[in-house]
Amino acid sequence: MAATATGPFGFAPAIAVFPLVAFVITLVFGRHLPKKGALPGILATAGSLVVSVVMFAAVAGGGEHHTTLYEWTSGAATSETMVEGIEFTFGILIDPLSALMLVIVSLVALLVHVFSLGYMNAEGETGLRRYYAELGLFTFSMLAFVFADNLLMAFMFFELVGLCSYLLIGFWFRTESAPSAAKKAFLVTRFGDYFFLIGVVAIAATFGTVGFAGEESFVTAAETAIDDGTTLFGFDAETWVTITGLLVLGGVLGKSAQFPFHTWLPDAMEGPTTVSALIHAATMVAAGVYLVARMFGYYALSPTALAIIAFVGGFTALFAATMAVVKDDIKQVLAYSTISQYGYMMLGLGVGGYVAGVFHLMNHAFFKALLFLGAGAVIILMHHEQDMWEMGGLKDKAPVTYYTFLAGALALAGIVPFSGFWSKDEVLFDALAVGLEQPVILAAYAMGLLAVFFTGFYTFRMVFLTFHGEPRSAAAEDPHSVGWAVKVPLLALGTLATVAGFANLAPVAELLHADITFLEFWLDGKYGAVEGLTYHAYHETVAFEEGVIGSETTTMLLSAGLSLGLALAGAFTAHTLYNVPEPSRHTTKLGGAYRVLKSNYYQDEYQVWLAEGLTLPLARAADRFDQTVIDGVVNGTSTISLFGSDRVKRIQTGIVTNYAALLVGGFIGLLLVLGYLGGWFA
Amino acid sequence: MAVLELPDWMALAPALILAGTALVLFLIDSIEPHSTNRTLLSGTAVAGSLSSLAVAVWFTVAGVGATGIENYGVIDIMNGQFVVDQLALYFMIIIAVVTALVTVASYDYLQDHTYQAEYYSLVVLAATGMSMMAASNSLVTIFIALELTSLPSYALVAILKDNRGSVEAGLKYFLIGALSSAIFVYGVSLVYGATGSLQLTRIATVLESGDGAVGEMGGLLGLGILMLIGGVAFKTASVPFHFWAPEAYEGAPAPISAFLSSASKAAGFVLAFRVFTTAFPLEATTGIIGVDWTLVFAILAIVTMTLGNFAAATQENVKRMLAYSSIGHAGYVLIGLAALSADGGDLVMGAAMMHLLVYGFMNTGAFLFVGLAEYWGVGRTFEDYNGLAERAPFACGAMAVFMFSLAGVPPFSGFWSKYLLYTELINAAADNTVLLVLAAALVINSALSLYYYSRLVKALWIEEPLLDRDRLAQPTGLYAAVIAAAVMTVVLLPAFGPVADAALEAAAAVVA
Repeated sequence: MAATATGPFGFAPAIAVFPLVAFVITLVFGRHLPKKGALPGILATAGSLVVSVVMFAAVAGGGEHHTTLYEWTSGAATSETMVEGIEFTFGILIDPLSALMLVIVSLVALLVHVFSLGYMNAEGETGLRRYYAELGLFTFSMLAFVFADNLLMAFMFFELVGLCSYLLIGFWFRTESAPSAAKKAFLVTRFGDYFFLIGVVAIAATFGTVGFAGEESFVTAAETAIDDGTTLFGFDAETWVTITGLLVLGGVLGKSAQFPFHTWLPDAMEGPTTVSALIHAATMVAAGVYLVARMFGYYALSPTALAIIAFVGGFTALFAATMAVVKDDIKQVLAYSTISQYGYMMLGLGVGGYVAGVFHLMNHAFFKALLFLGAGAVIILMHHEQDMWEMGGLKDKAPVTYYTFLAGALALAGIVPFSGFWSKDEVLFDALAVGLEQPVILAAYAMGLLAVFFTGFYTFRMVFLTFHGEPRSAAAEDPHSVGWAVKVPLLALGTLATVAGFANLAPVAELLHADITFLEFWLDGKYGAVEGLTYHAYHETVAFEEGVIGSETTTMLLSAGLSLGLALAGAFTAHTLYNVPEPSRHTTKLGGAYRVLKSNYYQDEYQVWLAEGLTLPLARAADRFDQTVIDGVVNGTSTISLFGSDRVKRIQTGIVTNYAALLVGGFIGLLLVLGYLGGWFA
Repeated sequence: MAVLELPDWMALAPALILAGTALVLFLIDSIEPHSTNRTLLSGTAVAGSLSSLAVAVWFTVAGVGATGIENYGVIDIMNGQFVVDQLALYFMIIIAVVTALVTVASYDYLQDHTYQAEYYSLVVLAATGMSMMAASNSLVTIFIALELTSLPSYALVAILKDNRGSVEAGLKYFLIGALSSAIFVYGVSLVYGATGSLQLTRIATVLESGDGAVGEMGGLLGLGILMLIGGVAFKTASVPFHFWAPEAYEGAPAPISAFLSSASKAAGFVLAFRVFTTAFPLEATTGIIGVDWTLVFAILAIVTMTLGNFAAATQENVKRMLAYSSIGHAGYVLIGLAALSADGGDLVMGAAMMHLLVYGFMNTGAFLFVGLAEYWGVGRTFEDYNGLAERAPFACGAMAVFMFSLAGVPPFSGFWSKYLLYTELINAAADNTVLLVLAAALVINSALSLYYYSRLVKALWIEEPLLDRDRLAQPTGLYAAVIAAAVMTVVLLPAFGPVADAALEAAAAVVA
């Protein structure tokens, strides 16, 4: 099938192609370009944004787009469900979810490119050509991942995204810590991707297709298999769907830094702050959750898988939030907040709250990009100091940075009416509704709710330490100035972080009975959608019962009030402790818990032990086996062969009578064998 | 094309052209005895072999032997004594190609040689015999063609009269050859005794109908068949009739070694393919002699490839290593006959024929490179070849291609033919343990062969030379032949589609 789309969708490939072209141009000519390649990147991402918006508008106009661009191989194997042949293709799927994500990714990428002018170019960094080339490749990979129409293509670009993060985290490769952090990010996520790959193979082998959408998709095939009660590889269909879904989830947990694969993400702060913004808001980390949303129909078939997603999400949300409480580095706080916030998204998706999860993904993209870029601005102001105890009092000296950062912080903490409140509330409400019927989900909900308090606390601890009080160092006394390239992205994202929540004012709609839950309509295919990939369809598939306390409205208000109250309580606690002219650390109050938190629950230690204490001896043993047994067999074979060769060679004596004798002897031998078999002598 | 208007006997043109060329060479020799006009003599021989090649290709393309309305079908000549079909033409092509390469290379090799005209006429006469052998369809014509091939070969091996090795090798070759011929001709008489016929199709008819007393002469017929196999084994240098090969190849001038190990071997195989597919239909013959004759070929294949490769592994002399490798390859091709009893056996045979064609280029090229080394006078052992690549990178590059192709390393043609042979064999071996054993032997031997082939490449390219060499000459003819063979070894791969089709069609036509 060729790409025969007419109208705006014909331009869809351009979204990914623009950054790819920018990558090539920057790589080849970057040295000679003004700004070392920033301009091609900015133009390309701006182009991607424009086309993405066109796609968005086209979907809003009732369109959708699903086409195969290129079939790179096909096979004739018959799958477990008796589908004959399988095709591996590159294709494009543009539906409400991917259109929305395309806009988010290209917008954040554009703003990060612009911000880089102020953060990298103006600061006189070297290696900018490499930086912008990798940024372009990164954007390309993520955009192509987003519009992938099948699991294998998604996997390939998922891996490319991982590679680009590796390159960018290790951008300052001459330092000691950056390459180590890059390697860690690469290895930890690769560990998860290993399961993902097995999952892809399992799904392909089971259903004979890896497509996301349509009648030919593995989602539809899995649904049919469950309905028909088919047995797949010795399991009943639902169990098998759970197993394969969880395998794919391995990749998701790695990329989205969910427990226990979260350890790479705080270290990844070694990369440039702009890269952190991109990784956390729109690309690498977002890729994991996006994949769950992309194949939500599949997970929806398995309540077990959903419950695991929800529980891991809730746990990670709380777990990471507690660690963020004791961090001193401004980027570290943000790193743990990212882990925590993606936990919320997983919680939302896990309880069947597809809209809530995607909503939080969108809002988080904006406010986390904002916070990271804001932190980048703070780092510029502070002459590359990142320790919050060296800051203070920046509020008056950098008002643009302060107010935009504050908007992001309010959104992160979930204070009404900033965007984070609406989406986090929706996640928690959905979790509560399901939790009232499912104890496991209720536990996940409780953890998520508790995390709200910690979120409010660490967010405002960060704000107060950075911007309030008296300056605590010379750098804070006399901050460096920031240019327009820093301010414009901050203002744009600040606005979005403030208002993005209005896309889906579910509680307000409930109260006023107004049809203003636009995102829900959007994802439900009110405008345009691919058959089967709608919130409605998912909601029918998810097998969870939902309960209410009193009525739905009271439940909703209760949930919203509870989370808002906890967020405010957290913020207030931070206010009393740290919003003073000379704040102290207050770490002794935590007692023994402080050390546990500061050491990140010893997660790194046990993972290092896994590598050094377990894997290394195992590898050594395997090596020894290889050296002795395998090599011994190989060497033995060659020794025997050479010895045999030496013997065989001696048959050729050089004496022709011997030859004649051997020849006749051999012939008679053959004659005897054959005569015996043929019974000639009888 | 106007083949139809030609008389039937013209279908033998590829062989007749070669015969004519030999006569022209004799004529030149009688006008000017002891002529050393290398250009004229070599040129005539090359022209003759190339015309033979051109006509054979033309016939194939025009559709001689192929069925269908536009084609000419199989052409019988002299009451079925000769037959020209796809199989015959395919082998005539192989033989003509090798002859052309060898005669081009001989131009330089025979510099300052006494018996120029004799040399070329003997080569072309032997080629005539091989070409006739491809078309022979009766045990009489086969025997005559066989002797027409063998007798000039004995003389050619011994043509370096002052060289002790050459003369000794010639004598040994002749003695073993005489013994083998005797066995073969005795086999012919036994088969005639059992069936009352010499023409191959008629033998088959007799066996299938069970006319006369043939049913009671199973043992006699079986012994006859076994003796025929002996004759074939001699020509193809298969165990245990291989003893002449290492010494003859080592002692003979290198172009003659190339000629014998490629063209002569191919002729031996066409003989085997022809006789055993036409004259002894499996079921009928098995019914009479009580045993499946493919079993003999399976045993011969395993023993031959194993012995050839194992003996090659530790040779110090390059030419001798190539001689044993050539025995090993005979073992591979024998698989084509061993698999005939299974379903899909015709495909295996087609793959074996394809391997012979590829082998015609890579093995000839390898021996010609040795000829080049002899021309330079660098010595005969692996050590003497050390570091040659520094002085002659092109020729050594070509040699590396030959070695890797012989070992069956991708992407060279030798890999594809061996790969096809292997896969078809595995397909055919679905319920046949003997063939599975054959496949295993093929794999093990191929792996072993990589060892000694790469040893030579290592010597050429990696090792340091033992002593400093002066610049090496670049003889045009030898170089041209070596490079041409190398190019064909590489590009036969893109052309593999048509070549593969030709081989498979030819095999299917004779098996059916």
